[in-house]
Amino acid sequence: MGVLSALMRGLVRGADRMAEFTSKRGPRTFYKSRGARPTGVLTASRKFIPVQAMIPEFVVPSLEGFNLKPYVSYKTPAGTEQPMTPEMLFNQVLAPQIERDIEEGVFSEENLEKYGLEKTQEGKLFKLHPKNFVR
Amino acid sequence: MRLTALLSMAAKAAFPHDYRYGTNRPWTIAAQRLNPPGKKRRKVFVEPIANEDWHVVRGDTVEILSGKDKGKQGKVAQVIRHRNWVILEGLNTHYRYIGRSGDYRGTYIASEAPLLLKDVTLVDPTDRKPTDIEWRYTEEGERVRVSVRTGRIIPKPVFQRKDGIIPQQWKDGPKDTSPEDTLQKTYTPSLKTLEEDVMEKMNIQEDRRPRKSYWY
Repeated sequence: MGVLSALMRGLVRGADRMAEFTSKRGPRTFYKSRGARPTGVLTASRKFIPVQAMIPEFVVPSLEGFNLKPYVSYKTPAGTEQPMTPEMLFNQVLAPQIERDIEEGVFSEENLEKYGLEKTQEGKLFKLHPKNFVR
Repeated sequence: MRLTALLSMAAKAAFPHDYRYGTNRPWTIAAQRLNPPGKKRRKVFVEPIANEDWHVVRGDTVEILSGKDKGKQGKVAQVIRHRNWVILEGLNTHYRYIGRSGDYRGTYIASEAPLLLKDVTLVDPTDRKPTDIEWRYTEEGERVRVSVRTGRIIPKPVFQRKDGIIPQQWKDGPKDTSPEDTLQKTYTPSLKTLEEDVMEKMNIQEDRRPRKSYWY
Protein backbone atom coordinates (compact mmCIF):
# COMPACT_ATOMS: atom_id res chain seq x y z
CA MET A 1 0.00 0.00 0.00
CA GLY A 2 2.86 2.35 0.74
CA VAL A 3 4.39 1.87 -2.66
CA LEU A 4 1.08 2.27 -4.44
CA SER A 5 0.09 5.44 -2.62
CA ALA A 6 3.51 7.02 -3.00
CA LEU A 7 3.73 6.20 -6.67
CA MET A 8 0.36 6.80 -8.17
CA ARG A 9 -1.25 9.71 -6.46
CA GLY A 10 -4.59 10.63 -7.87
CA LEU A 11 -5.39 7.16 -9.10
CA VAL A 12 -8.12 4.89 -7.74
CA ARG A 13 -7.10 3.23 -4.49
CA GLY A 14 -7.37 -0.55 -4.35
CA ALA A 15 -5.95 -3.56 -6.09
CA ASP A 16 -4.09 -3.20 -9.34
CA ARG A 17 -6.71 -4.46 -11.81
CA MET A 18 -4.35 -4.35 -14.74
CA ALA A 19 -1.72 -6.63 -13.22
CA GLU A 20 -1.02 -9.89 -14.97
CA PHE A 21 -3.13 -12.77 -13.52
CA THR A 22 -0.37 -15.33 -13.12
CA SER A 23 -0.47 -18.85 -11.75
CA LYS A 24 0.60 -17.45 -8.36
CA ARG A 25 -2.76 -15.77 -7.88
CA GLY A 26 -6.32 -17.09 -7.72
CA PRO A 27 -7.75 -20.04 -5.77
CA ARG A 28 -5.85 -23.31 -5.47
CA THR A 29 -8.05 -24.87 -8.16
CA PHE A 30 -6.82 -22.27 -10.64
CA TYR A 31 -4.22 -23.77 -12.98
CA LYS A 32 -2.21 -21.78 -15.47
CA SER A 33 1.10 -22.62 -17.04
CA ARG A 34 4.00 -20.14 -16.99
CA GLY A 35 5.04 -20.91 -20.57
CA ALA A 36 6.94 -24.18 -20.34
CA ARG A 37 6.44 -26.30 -23.45
CA PRO A 38 4.81 -29.72 -22.85
CA THR A 39 7.03 -32.79 -23.18
CA GLY A 40 4.29 -35.32 -23.88
CA VAL A 41 0.63 -36.00 -24.35
CA LEU A 42 -2.14 -36.06 -21.73
CA THR A 43 -4.59 -38.90 -22.44
CA ALA A 44 -8.34 -39.00 -21.78
CA SER A 45 -7.81 -41.00 -18.60
CA ARG A 46 -5.56 -38.15 -17.36
CA LYS A 47 -2.41 -40.21 -17.77
CA PHE A 48 0.61 -38.37 -19.08
CA ILE A 49 2.66 -40.13 -21.76
CA PRO A 50 6.07 -38.52 -22.29
CA VAL A 51 7.10 -38.31 -25.94
CA GLN A 52 10.87 -38.56 -26.36
CA ALA A 53 10.88 -36.30 -29.42
CA MET A 54 9.35 -33.43 -27.44
CA ILE A 55 12.01 -33.53 -24.73
CA PRO A 56 14.91 -31.26 -25.74
CA GLU A 57 18.28 -32.94 -26.06
CA PHE A 58 21.50 -30.93 -26.10
CA VAL A 59 23.98 -32.12 -28.70
CA VAL A 60 27.30 -30.66 -27.61
CA PRO A 61 30.31 -30.83 -29.94
CA SER A 62 33.76 -31.70 -28.60
CA LEU A 63 35.52 -28.62 -27.21
CA GLU A 64 39.04 -29.63 -28.21
CA GLY A 65 41.09 -26.69 -29.44
CA PHE A 66 38.40 -24.29 -28.28
CA ASN A 67 40.14 -21.44 -26.51
CA LEU A 68 37.29 -19.03 -25.81
CA LYS A 69 36.48 -18.64 -22.12
CA PRO A 70 33.54 -17.04 -20.28
CA TYR A 71 35.24 -13.68 -19.75
CA VAL A 72 37.35 -11.41 -21.90
CA SER A 73 40.66 -10.02 -20.69
CA TYR A 74 40.88 -6.29 -19.90
CA LYS A 75 43.94 -6.03 -22.14
CA THR A 76 41.82 -6.52 -25.27
CA PRO A 77 41.58 -3.27 -27.25
CA ALA A 78 38.09 -1.82 -27.53
CA GLY A 79 36.23 -1.87 -30.82
CA THR A 80 33.36 -3.54 -32.64
CA GLU A 81 32.94 -5.29 -35.93
CA GLN A 82 30.29 -4.11 -38.31
CA PRO A 83 27.20 -6.32 -38.12
CA MET A 84 26.68 -8.47 -41.20
CA THR A 85 24.15 -6.98 -43.59
CA PRO A 86 22.61 -8.72 -46.62
CA GLU A 87 24.69 -6.48 -48.91
CA MET A 88 27.93 -7.47 -47.19
CA LEU A 89 26.96 -11.13 -47.28
CA PHE A 90 26.24 -10.94 -51.01
CA ASN A 91 29.48 -9.09 -51.71
CA GLN A 92 31.58 -11.58 -49.82
CA VAL A 93 29.93 -14.84 -50.86
CA LEU A 94 28.22 -14.44 -54.22
CA ALA A 95 29.72 -11.46 -55.97
CA PRO A 96 33.12 -13.08 -56.79
CA GLN A 97 31.52 -16.19 -58.30
CA ILE A 98 28.99 -14.20 -60.32
CA GLU A 99 31.67 -11.83 -61.62
CA ARG A 100 33.86 -14.75 -62.63
CA ASP A 101 30.97 -16.34 -64.48
CA ILE A 102 30.07 -13.11 -66.23
CA GLU A 103 33.65 -12.70 -67.42
CA GLU A 104 33.72 -16.23 -68.74
CA GLY A 105 30.33 -15.62 -70.35
CA VAL A 106 28.66 -18.55 -68.56
CA PHE A 107 26.26 -16.50 -66.39
CA SER A 108 22.56 -17.15 -67.02
CA GLU A 109 19.62 -15.97 -64.95
CA GLU A 110 17.85 -19.36 -65.10
CA ASN A 111 20.80 -21.13 -63.53
CA LEU A 112 21.11 -19.29 -60.19
CA GLU A 113 20.92 -22.50 -58.09
CA LYS A 114 24.61 -23.19 -58.56
CA TYR A 115 25.47 -20.12 -56.46
CA GLY A 116 23.35 -21.39 -53.57
CA LEU A 117 20.21 -19.34 -54.21
CA GLU A 118 17.00 -21.36 -53.97
CA LYS A 119 13.97 -20.97 -56.18
CA THR A 120 11.50 -22.03 -53.50
CA GLN A 121 11.56 -22.66 -49.76
CA GLU A 122 9.43 -25.88 -50.05
CA GLY A 123 11.09 -29.00 -48.75
CA LYS A 124 13.59 -27.14 -46.58
CA LEU A 125 13.69 -27.78 -42.86
CA PHE A 126 14.54 -24.16 -41.96
CA LYS A 127 12.57 -21.91 -44.27
CA LEU A 128 13.61 -18.29 -44.59
CA HIS A 129 10.11 -17.09 -45.45
CA PRO A 130 7.78 -17.79 -43.77
CA LYS A 131 10.43 -18.10 -41.09
CA ASN A 132 9.82 -21.27 -39.13
CA PHE A 133 12.69 -21.12 -36.67
CA VAL A 134 12.95 -18.91 -33.66
CA ARG A 135 16.41 -17.32 -34.00
CA MET B 1 -2.87 4.10 -20.11
CA ARG B 2 -2.47 0.75 -18.39
CA LEU B 3 -0.93 0.86 -14.94
CA THR B 4 1.52 -1.97 -15.59
CA ALA B 5 2.65 -0.41 -18.84
CA LEU B 6 3.20 2.89 -17.06
CA LEU B 7 5.19 1.25 -14.27
CA SER B 8 7.37 -0.68 -16.70
CA MET B 9 8.05 2.52 -18.59
CA ALA B 10 9.07 4.21 -15.36
CA ALA B 11 11.31 1.31 -14.44
CA LYS B 12 13.25 1.05 -17.66
CA ALA B 13 13.07 4.44 -19.31
CA ALA B 14 14.90 7.69 -18.60
CA PHE B 15 13.91 10.18 -15.96
CA PRO B 16 11.26 12.91 -16.39
CA HIS B 17 12.46 16.25 -17.72
CA ASP B 18 11.84 17.92 -14.34
CA TYR B 19 13.68 15.28 -12.30
CA ARG B 20 15.78 16.87 -9.56
CA TYR B 21 19.28 15.43 -9.90
CA GLY B 22 21.15 15.30 -6.61
CA THR B 23 24.49 14.10 -5.32
CA ASN B 24 23.08 10.58 -5.02
CA ARG B 25 23.18 8.90 -8.41
CA PRO B 26 19.63 8.32 -9.73
CA TRP B 27 19.81 4.52 -9.70
CA THR B 28 20.73 4.31 -6.00
CA ILE B 29 18.20 3.53 -3.29
CA ALA B 30 18.83 6.86 -1.54
CA ALA B 31 17.94 8.74 -4.71
CA GLN B 32 14.83 6.61 -5.22
CA ARG B 33 13.76 7.46 -1.69
CA LEU B 34 14.27 11.19 -2.23
CA ASN B 35 12.78 11.25 -5.74
CA PRO B 36 10.12 8.57 -6.12
CA PRO B 37 8.54 8.50 -9.59
CA GLY B 38 5.47 10.62 -8.82
CA LYS B 39 7.23 13.36 -6.90
CA LYS B 40 7.52 16.90 -8.19
CA ARG B 41 9.93 19.31 -6.57
CA ARG B 42 10.44 23.01 -6.94
CA LYS B 43 12.37 23.66 -10.11
CA VAL B 44 16.08 24.48 -9.92
CA PHE B 45 17.37 26.75 -12.63
CA VAL B 46 20.54 25.52 -14.26
CA GLU B 47 22.57 27.68 -16.58
CA PRO B 48 22.56 25.86 -19.92
CA ILE B 49 26.13 25.03 -20.93
CA ALA B 50 26.60 23.35 -24.28
CA ASN B 51 28.49 20.07 -24.47
CA GLU B 52 31.22 21.74 -26.50
CA ASP B 53 31.81 24.44 -23.87
CA TRP B 54 32.17 22.12 -20.88
CA HIS B 55 35.85 22.11 -19.99
CA VAL B 56 36.19 20.22 -16.69
CA VAL B 57 36.80 16.49 -16.72
CA ARG B 58 36.99 13.98 -13.87
CA GLY B 59 40.60 13.83 -12.69
CA ASP B 60 41.41 17.48 -13.54
CA THR B 61 43.02 19.76 -11.00
CA VAL B 62 40.86 22.84 -10.39
CA GLU B 63 40.94 25.81 -8.04
CA ILE B 64 37.93 27.02 -6.08
CA LEU B 65 37.03 30.68 -6.62
CA SER B 66 34.36 31.25 -4.01
CA GLY B 67 33.03 29.56 -0.94
CA LYS B 68 34.46 28.14 2.22
CA ASP B 69 37.61 26.70 0.61
CA LYS B 70 38.30 29.64 -1.66
CA GLY B 71 41.76 29.52 -3.15
CA LYS B 72 42.37 25.82 -2.64
CA GLN B 73 43.18 23.40 -5.41
CA GLY B 74 41.83 19.89 -5.66
CA LYS B 75 41.14 17.01 -7.98
CA VAL B 76 37.71 16.56 -9.51
CA ALA B 77 36.12 13.37 -8.22
CA GLN B 78 32.74 13.60 -9.92
CA VAL B 79 30.99 15.74 -12.51
CA ILE B 80 27.20 16.04 -12.57
CA ARG B 81 26.25 17.73 -15.85
CA HIS B 82 22.55 18.04 -15.09
CA ARG B 83 23.18 20.63 -12.37
CA ASN B 84 26.56 21.97 -13.63
CA TRP B 85 28.14 20.46 -10.53
CA VAL B 86 31.71 19.52 -9.82
CA ILE B 87 32.63 17.58 -6.69
CA LEU B 88 36.24 17.82 -5.53
CA GLU B 89 38.07 15.35 -3.35
CA GLY B 90 38.17 16.48 0.27
CA LEU B 91 37.30 20.14 -0.38
CA ASN B 92 34.18 22.16 0.41
CA THR B 93 33.24 19.62 3.04
CA HIS B 94 30.65 19.52 5.74
CA TYR B 95 30.56 16.87 8.41
CA ARG B 96 27.89 14.30 9.07
CA TYR B 97 27.29 10.99 10.77
CA ILE B 98 26.95 7.93 8.55
CA GLY B 99 25.70 4.44 9.34
CA ARG B 100 23.79 5.13 12.51
CA SER B 101 21.75 2.29 13.99
CA GLY B 102 20.01 1.94 17.33
CA ASP B 103 21.93 3.96 19.92
CA TYR B 104 25.16 4.14 17.90
CA ARG B 105 25.41 7.59 16.42
CA GLY B 106 27.53 6.43 13.46
CA THR B 107 30.87 7.44 12.00
CA TYR B 108 31.67 11.13 11.77
CA ILE B 109 32.91 11.74 8.25
CA ALA B 110 33.58 14.70 6.01
CA SER B 111 31.34 14.74 2.95
CA GLU B 112 32.03 17.00 -0.03
CA ALA B 113 29.42 19.46 -1.23
CA PRO B 114 29.14 20.12 -4.96
CA LEU B 115 30.43 23.32 -6.52
CA LEU B 116 28.97 25.04 -9.55
CA LEU B 117 31.13 25.17 -12.63
CA LYS B 118 31.38 28.96 -12.48
CA ASP B 119 32.94 28.73 -9.01
CA VAL B 120 35.92 26.67 -10.17
CA THR B 121 38.60 27.16 -12.80
CA LEU B 122 41.16 24.87 -14.23
CA VAL B 123 44.73 25.20 -13.09
CA ASP B 124 47.62 25.64 -15.51
CA PRO B 125 49.86 22.63 -14.82
CA THR B 126 53.08 24.52 -15.53
CA ASP B 127 52.80 27.38 -13.00
CA ARG B 128 49.93 25.95 -10.95
CA LYS B 129 47.90 29.14 -11.00
CA PRO B 130 44.21 29.40 -11.87
CA THR B 131 43.42 30.46 -15.42
CA ASP B 132 40.55 30.90 -17.87
CA ILE B 133 40.13 28.26 -20.52
CA GLU B 134 39.29 28.32 -24.20
CA TRP B 135 38.74 25.50 -26.63
CA ARG B 136 41.07 25.82 -29.59
CA TYR B 137 42.30 23.62 -32.38
CA THR B 138 45.90 22.49 -32.79
CA GLU B 139 47.62 22.32 -36.12
CA GLU B 140 46.76 18.66 -36.41
CA GLY B 141 43.08 19.54 -35.97
CA GLU B 142 42.73 18.26 -32.44
CA ARG B 143 40.42 20.20 -30.11
CA VAL B 144 42.28 21.09 -26.93
CA ARG B 145 41.85 23.27 -23.87
CA VAL B 146 44.18 26.25 -23.89
CA SER B 147 44.74 28.57 -20.95
CA VAL B 148 44.07 32.16 -21.96
CA ARG B 149 46.68 33.68 -19.65
CA THR B 150 49.72 31.64 -20.66
CA GLY B 151 48.60 30.05 -23.92
CA ARG B 152 49.67 26.55 -22.89
CA ILE B 153 47.65 23.47 -23.67
CA ILE B 154 46.08 21.75 -20.68
CA PRO B 155 46.14 18.03 -21.38
CA LYS B 156 43.21 15.82 -20.50
CA PRO B 157 43.85 13.74 -17.40
CA VAL B 158 44.63 10.09 -17.95
CA PHE B 159 41.43 8.11 -17.82
CA GLN B 160 41.29 5.91 -14.73
CA ARG B 161 38.64 3.31 -14.28
CA LYS B 162 36.52 3.66 -11.18
CA ASP B 163 37.27 0.08 -10.14
CA GLY B 164 41.01 0.78 -10.19
CA ILE B 165 41.91 -1.74 -12.89
CA ILE B 166 44.76 -0.75 -15.20
CA PRO B 167 44.28 -2.77 -18.40
CA GLN B 168 48.00 -2.95 -19.27
CA GLN B 169 48.83 -4.42 -15.87
CA TRP B 170 45.95 -6.86 -15.83
CA LYS B 171 46.88 -10.51 -15.25
CA ASP B 172 44.55 -12.92 -17.01
CA GLY B 173 42.75 -15.37 -14.77
CA PRO B 174 41.83 -18.96 -15.69
CA LYS B 175 38.43 -17.87 -17.00
CA ASP B 176 39.72 -14.95 -19.11
CA THR B 177 40.06 -15.28 -22.88
CA SER B 178 43.42 -13.93 -24.02
CA PRO B 179 43.37 -10.93 -26.41
CA GLU B 180 44.72 -13.00 -29.33
CA ASP B 181 41.95 -15.56 -29.01
CA THR B 182 39.33 -12.82 -28.68
CA LEU B 183 40.43 -10.97 -31.81
CA GLN B 184 40.76 -14.09 -33.93
CA LYS B 185 38.33 -14.05 -36.84
CA THR B 186 36.94 -17.49 -37.45
CA TYR B 187 33.69 -16.51 -39.16
CA THR B 188 33.34 -17.63 -42.76
CA PRO B 189 30.26 -16.06 -44.34
CA SER B 190 27.98 -18.47 -46.13
CA LEU B 191 24.41 -18.63 -47.30
CA LYS B 192 23.43 -21.24 -44.70
CA THR B 193 21.47 -20.36 -41.58
CA LEU B 194 23.22 -21.07 -38.27
CA GLU B 195 21.02 -24.11 -37.73
CA GLU B 196 21.87 -25.63 -41.13
CA ASP B 197 25.57 -24.97 -40.59
CA VAL B 198 25.52 -26.65 -37.18
CA MET B 199 23.62 -29.65 -38.53
CA GLU B 200 26.19 -30.07 -41.26
CA LYS B 201 29.16 -29.83 -38.89
CA MET B 202 27.68 -32.27 -36.38
CA ASN B 203 26.45 -34.70 -39.07
CA ILE B 204 22.86 -34.54 -37.90
CA GLN B 205 20.46 -36.10 -40.38
CA GLU B 206 16.88 -34.81 -40.23
CA ASP B 207 14.61 -36.14 -42.94
CA ARG B 208 11.29 -35.49 -41.22
CA ARG B 209 9.48 -32.37 -42.24
CA PRO B 210 6.77 -30.64 -40.20
CA ARG B 211 3.25 -31.32 -41.33
CA LYS B 212 1.66 -28.58 -43.36
CA SER B 213 -0.93 -26.54 -41.52
CA TYR B 214 -3.01 -23.60 -42.65
CA TRP B 215 -4.61 -20.75 -40.88
CA TYR B 216 -6.94 -18.11 -42.17
